[in-house]
Amino acid sequence: MDVDLRRSIGLGLPLVLLTCATLATSAGGDAVPPAVTTDTPEYCHKLMDRIGQALRAASTPPPLEVVSLSSEGEHMCDDGLTRGGILRLRRALLILEQMTPPP
Amino acid sequence: MNFFGRPANAGLAPFQQAPDGLAHADDPASPQSDVPNPNAGVPDTAFPDAAPSEDRRPDDRRLLGGRAPDLLHSAGFRFAMVYAVLLAISAAALALYLWWATAGLLDRQTEAAIRADVQGLSERWDEGGLPALVLTIRERLEQNVDDDAIYLLADQSMRPLAGNLRAWPEPVSRADVLYELAVTRAGQPALAQVQRYDLPGGFHLLIGRDVQARAKLRTLLTDALLWGLIVVAVMALGGAFVVRSLFRRTLASVSATAAAISTGDFSRRVRVSGRGDEFDQLAETINDMLDRIGRLMEGVREVSNAIAHDLRTPITRARARLEDAALHAETTVELHAAIERATGDLDGIVAVFQALLRISEIEAGSRRSAFTEFNLATILADVAELYEPLAESNGLRLLLDTPANVPVWGDPEMLRQAVGNLTDNAVKFSPPGGAVLLSARAAPAGVEVTVADQGPGIPAEDRSRAVERFFRGEAARSTPGSGLGLALVQAVAHLHGGTLHLEDAGPGLRATLSLPGQLVTELSS
Repeated sequence: MDVDLRRSIGLGLPLVLLTCATLATSAGGDAVPPAVTTDTPEYCHKLMDRIGQALRAASTPPPLEVVSLSSEGEHMCDDGLTRGGILRLRRALLILEQMTPPP
Repeated sequence: MNFFGRPANAGLAPFQQAPDGLAHADDPASPQSDVPNPNAGVPDTAFPDAAPSEDRRPDDRRLLGGRAPDLLHSAGFRFAMVYAVLLAISAAALALYLWWATAGLLDRQTEAAIRADVQGLSERWDEGGLPALVLTIRERLEQNVDDDAIYLLADQSMRPLAGNLRAWPEPVSRADVLYELAVTRAGQPALAQVQRYDLPGGFHLLIGRDVQARAKLRTLLTDALLWGLIVVAVMALGGAFVVRSLFRRTLASVSATAAAISTGDFSRRVRVSGRGDEFDQLAETINDMLDRIGRLMEGVREVSNAIAHDLRTPITRARARLEDAALHAETTVELHAAIERATGDLDGIVAVFQALLRISEIEAGSRRSAFTEFNLATILADVAELYEPLAESNGLRLLLDTPANVPVWGDPEMLRQAVGNLTDNAVKFSPPGGAVLLSARAAPAGVEVTVADQGPGIPAEDRSRAVERFFRGEAARSTPGSGLGLALVQAVAHLHGGTLHLEDAGPGLRATLSLPGQLVTELSS
């Protein structure tokens, strides 16, 4: 084998190995845990839409608790307290669905 | 052998018969003496009824031969380590149980919730297929007020169809395996337990629960238990030192007493705390042993004194006779006569020594190894046969009244000698024309052997002293003897766990040797 070629291999091989190791490490280290989609402002709006649908479908006025929870949940979601807001919206939706008779 | 001894102040410590049959020193004062006391090295206060020793706490190192054992060889350290290890093991076992009951319960609850979810979703799949499953997942998420449910329904290509995860987590590759999965919730890292289920048609379902709070609780509980174990370990070490110090303090008391006794202070006793525990039992046993040693040493001292005072006379007499013969004997006949008289004196002294040694041997209890079951009636018959000629020559009738079989557990030779001594005394001191009765009968606790005569008897005030070594009453001074006969009989009685009782026979003396043990079942026959 040509001396120059051998020299090149001797110098470049460690660099290649180091790069591969770095890539492998960064690939494993950059693995992002999956995000839960029911903790987002979008889900907040989705729940508020569902509550709106349930209120329109209800034959009786909603209880004060539902109104209160819905309002709190909306405000908390707008203020960035997404998980707390979602929790209240869920409770309001659950009460509404329990009030709605089954078809 | 006779009953009566010398006057009371003969240099002997007075003896009184204790209710338990053992002799205890009544007055440990040193005897009067005009010769060097052979027991000069024995303190006069040797083993009195000792008061509890003072609570002195000498240094352990000095008591234990000047150097305490090193830590690893210390029994106290071993006891302490046993205590510490047992405490640590108990605490660890309790901690493990608590961990299992709490953190383990949380894990089991999560698994149960996932299984319940699987059951419900499976029913919806069976009822309505994919659309029903999608709707159910959406509804459950909307009603998840605990905010801990995680669902993901994916198609054959792992594309999400329903649920609250953006993508199928790569680590979850096997079905029916519970995975711990790191997730992100509102930008914050969290932990979930998930399980994969493969549905017909190539669909995949992921069901899980957010266990971040439970993981935190488990971590908190684990840290608390670990710190608790550390505290227990420290307490165990502290308790181990306390145990070791208690152990050493108790042993120090015993060691101090033993060391004091070894240096000559025989009045010391091991302190008894009064708690009645094993250490108190040990202390009481050691004190009883020391009391017995004291009595034995006192007995040795008294024998030495008796030998010094009571054998001096015959030795002096023998010497005087020999000296007189050497100076004044004019013929060979006179010389031989003097030598024979001296020889007789010395024979008497030898007999006294032999009797003393025999009594000491009996009192030491070494003869118990010769105990056997035998018929006491045979012994009585032999004694009666032995003394019949002497009684007849003295004009006495020797009467024998025993059943054919008197089973006894003891030393036949010792009892033969004891009965022989009593019979000898009775024959020796009975006037002509009288009778000597040798009898045996059943008693509530065993057997009673009685020798009764019609002689002068023993005055009531002398009966308690009649069993002392070398004691001779007034009536016995004219008869040969050394005053050891009844002492030997009493020693034999004690060896067999029995007693010797002297009483007035009106007239005469009745000596009763009571022996416990086997009931006589054939006496009545």
